[in-house]
Amino acid sequence: MKRWFGPTAVALLVAAAAWHGGLALATYGLMEAAVRKTAADTGLNKMRYNALATPENQPVVRPSPDLAYAACAYDLTDGPVVVTMAPVPGRYSSLSVFDARTDVVFVRNDQQAKEKPFQIVIARDGQAVPAGKEVVRVGYDRGIALVRLLLNTPSEIKSLEPLRRQSSCRQI
Amino acid sequence: MKRWQRYTLGVAVGLAAGFGLVWQETGSAFDSGSVTNGIWSTSLNYGIASADPLTRAAVARRGLLALPKTETVYWAASRDSDGKPLDGSCTYELTGKALDSRWWSVTYYDRDGYLVPNDARIWSFSGASITPEEKAGWKVTISPAKPVAGHWLPGVKGQPFELTLRMYNPGPAFVKDPKAAELPVLKKEGCA
Repeated sequence: MKRWFGPTAVALLVAAAAWHGGLALATYGLMEAAVRKTAADTGLNKMRYNALATPENQPVVRPSPDLAYAACAYDLTDGPVVVTMAPVPGRYSSLSVFDARTDVVFVRNDQQAKEKPFQIVIARDGQAVPAGKEVVRVGYDRGIALVRLLLNTPSEIKSLEPLRRQSSCRQI
Repeated sequence: MKRWQRYTLGVAVGLAAGFGLVWQETGSAFDSGSVTNGIWSTSLNYGIASADPLTRAAVARRGLLALPKTETVYWAASRDSDGKPLDGSCTYELTGKALDSRWWSVTYYDRDGYLVPNDARIWSFSGASITPEEKAGWKVTISPAKPVAGHWLPGVKGQPFELTLRMYNPGPAFVKDPKAAELPVLKKEGCA
C-alpha cells in the first residue's frame, strides 16, 4: 500500500494543476477562438455587421435571435483602437468591450449615452491616445467590442441597417 | 507494477480528474448558479473582474460575451418544476406577467446552447410579442405542434432543450432581490 503514497500524491497535485490550467485554457482559449472567428472575413479592428442569429448562423454560443449584433475583434499590438457606437433612438442598444479573459471592461447603453453617438478608445496601459478622447484601458491586446441592437421583429433589420452601420471600429 | 508505471498512472489519473472536473463543472455551472428562483437559475457574477475562475470558464463555454447584471440578467432553465429535464416532445405552458425590466425575452436552445431549426422559424418570445392587456398576464405554449390559439414557441421532437430568460436593464426592485422576483412559471401539459 505504502508504495502508492507517492503516485497518489502526484495524482492529486496533477489534478489540482490540471483543474486550474483547464479553467484558464477554457477561458482564454474560447475567447481567442471567438476573436479569430469574428475577424475571419472582416479582419481585425473592423466592425463585422452580423446577420441575425438563426440555426444556420451562430457565431457564438447562446445567440439571441432578437438582437442585431455587430462585433469588432480588436488587437492593440500596433496601437489603440477607436470604436464608434450609434444608438438607435427609442430602443435598447449597447456597446460592451470584453478582454482576453472574458471580463467586461466597458459597457454603455443607449439611455446612458442619451441616445447620442459616442466614441471610445481602447488602449493598453502606457499606449499614447489622442487628447480629449474617452479611454478604456485594458490588460490584454486582444478582445471583442460588441454592439447589441434590439429588434421588435426580425424584419426591422432592413430599415435599421443604415443606422447600424454607423457603428464602426478602426485602429488609430 | 513498476515504480515508474505507478507514477505514470498517478499523472494520468490526475490529468483525467482535473480536466474531467473542468468539463463537468463548466457544463453545469449555469444550473448550479448562485441564485435560483422557481425553475430559473443565474449567477450574478457574469462579466465582472471579481468572478471566480470557474464562473469565467463556464460563461466562456456556455455564454461567451454575456453582459453584467446591471445590463442584463440571464436566467437558465433546463428542468421543469418537477425536476424532469425539459423535453422537446412535450407540451408546456409558460405563464407570467410583464417582467421588471426594460425588455425581456425567453429563448429556446438545445442543451449546448444553440438555436435549433423549426419550420416556423420562431426561437423566442419577448416583451414585444405581447399586447398591453397581456402585461398583466401572458401565456405561451411550448410544443412541437402549433397550438390552436395563442402564442407559440416551437419545440423540437425527441430533443431535450433549455430556456434562457433575458432581462435587459432590470428594475431597481428586481436588482435588490432577484430571488423574490415573479418569474414565468412552466407547467408540463403532456408528452407526444
